[in-house]
Amino acid sequence: MKIPRSLKTVPAFCALALALTLPVVAQEGFPLKGSWIGVWEGNTQQGNDVLLVMNWDGKNISGTINPGTDNIKIDKASLDPNGWKVHIEADAKNKQGAALRYVIDGTIQNLEQPNRGIVGTWQNQSGKGKFEVHRQ
Amino acid sequence: MKANRLLITGSLGIAVFVGATAAWAHHAIQGKFDVSKNTELTGVVTYVDWRNPHAHIFMNVTGKGGVLNYAVELESPVELEMDGWKGNTLRPGDKISVKGYPSRDRSRQVWGVDVRDTASGSQLFTAKLAKTGPLHTTERPTPRWPDGHPALGSLPGAADGYWTNPTKTYLQEDGANMKMDEYGALANIEDAAKVAPMQPWALGVYKDRQQRQLRDDPMFINCKPPGGPRQYQSRLGIQFIEDRQRKRYFVLLGSGNHNYRIIYTDGRKPVGLVGGDDDNPLYYGRSVGHWEGDTLVVEVTGFNEDFWFTNGGIPHTSDLHLTERFSRPNFDTLHYEVKVEDPGAFTRPWSASWDLQWNGGATLPSYFCQNNRQ
Repeated sequence: MKIPRSLKTVPAFCALALALTLPVVAQEGFPLKGSWIGVWEGNTQQGNDVLLVMNWDGKNISGTINPGTDNIKIDKASLDPNGWKVHIEADAKNKQGAALRYVIDGTIQNLEQPNRGIVGTWQNQSGKGKFEVHRQ
Repeated sequence: MKANRLLITGSLGIAVFVGATAAWAHHAIQGKFDVSKNTELTGVVTYVDWRNPHAHIFMNVTGKGGVLNYAVELESPVELEMDGWKGNTLRPGDKISVKGYPSRDRSRQVWGVDVRDTASGSQLFTAKLAKTGPLHTTERPTPRWPDGHPALGSLPGAADGYWTNPTKTYLQEDGANMKMDEYGALANIEDAAKVAPMQPWALGVYKDRQQRQLRDDPMFINCKPPGGPRQYQSRLGIQFIEDRQRKRYFVLLGSGNHNYRIIYTDGRKPVGLVGGDDDNPLYYGRSVGHWEGDTLVVEVTGFNEDFWFTNGGIPHTSDLHLTERFSRPNFDTLHYEVKVEDPGAFTRPWSASWDLQWNGGATLPSYFCQNNRQ
């Protein structure tokens, strides 16, 4: 059965609407812990939108980029409280299956707010651009 | 009548505000008011709004631009009434002068630090300071149950009562003795690292909260519960209800949102109903306790990360594990000790302790963060 093009956009629209309307859950602990949604602009391999899930075990930051779709495991991540600088490295593959090394550098914005952000840049062997995510 | 009222208020004014941060509040005022600035108003009372969470005096102030109405915010009616003040202490038409802090958003709101009757100079609506001296104690011995365990609340048939006037209203490691106000705001930000053995990120968050004058406190902004040791640092107090048949203690809070927590002493594990703490971390965690001599030892885990567990904003993670030790060395004193373990936020375990005083014959205040008078 062929689904009309207009209907194909409904689930995506609903997901976006849900993401925009869900209240941000307060997170007063480790600042990077939780889910983050935003963009890595100009990413022709993984698409413009990015979802980030991070955790903190007391020593290390772990997590996944685009869980459920790209499933890019975060290899390295650090947070420097002096300036709240965030550094993330992760290995992925491009559409042809070749290795891509993502490096994300940013700064936490509005640390004290539940919807704090990470703003900076992303880059890999094939491109770079603005990176901006906000905690959900 | 007015003279009598002023006489009463004048005599009650013995317990005075002393400066900027003297009074303990259920939550910090810094979120709304700029405590680094001072403002003064003189005018005529138009209305007294005697409702939780904070009482307000509305007053007309005559200036160059004509008559403007200001709202002067005070401590909660519960706290003011504990010190003898009433909603009719002031009435429309009374002339008052106010010293306080202006609102951050520059609206015509002021936090009232010093409110005086203009004619007599008598100070009004003063609240007691946080307990700074030794607790009042009597010679009465520790009340005990038939099995010899100290009663942490009232024994059956005895007068009701609750614990109040904590000797500390902020958290820092025993022995640190960093100077703070009653809200937990450090006098010197350079002392931040000495308050507790925080990991670098936690110290950074703590400093940020301190430098923002605690204005982001979720208990202030969102009425989040005062989980952890914070619940024992409110003047509004706590009350123990001991259900010995079911082997559990209910700890009722006069502050927060009139929350309660349960300490189980029936030997159960500190896990949730679903399958473990991870399924449903809580503001007050999950508590299991046992007696060691005259001390109730309580292990608490399963905290969420949605609140501040201290008045000064020391951060924690969901790995927080508290070991609380409650003892009642005499009838009037509850001694509270807490060991804080959280490998997600601290570099080593650390401890703090303080006392609370028995307020016998009194009922736990009915304070709610939201307005409860409507």
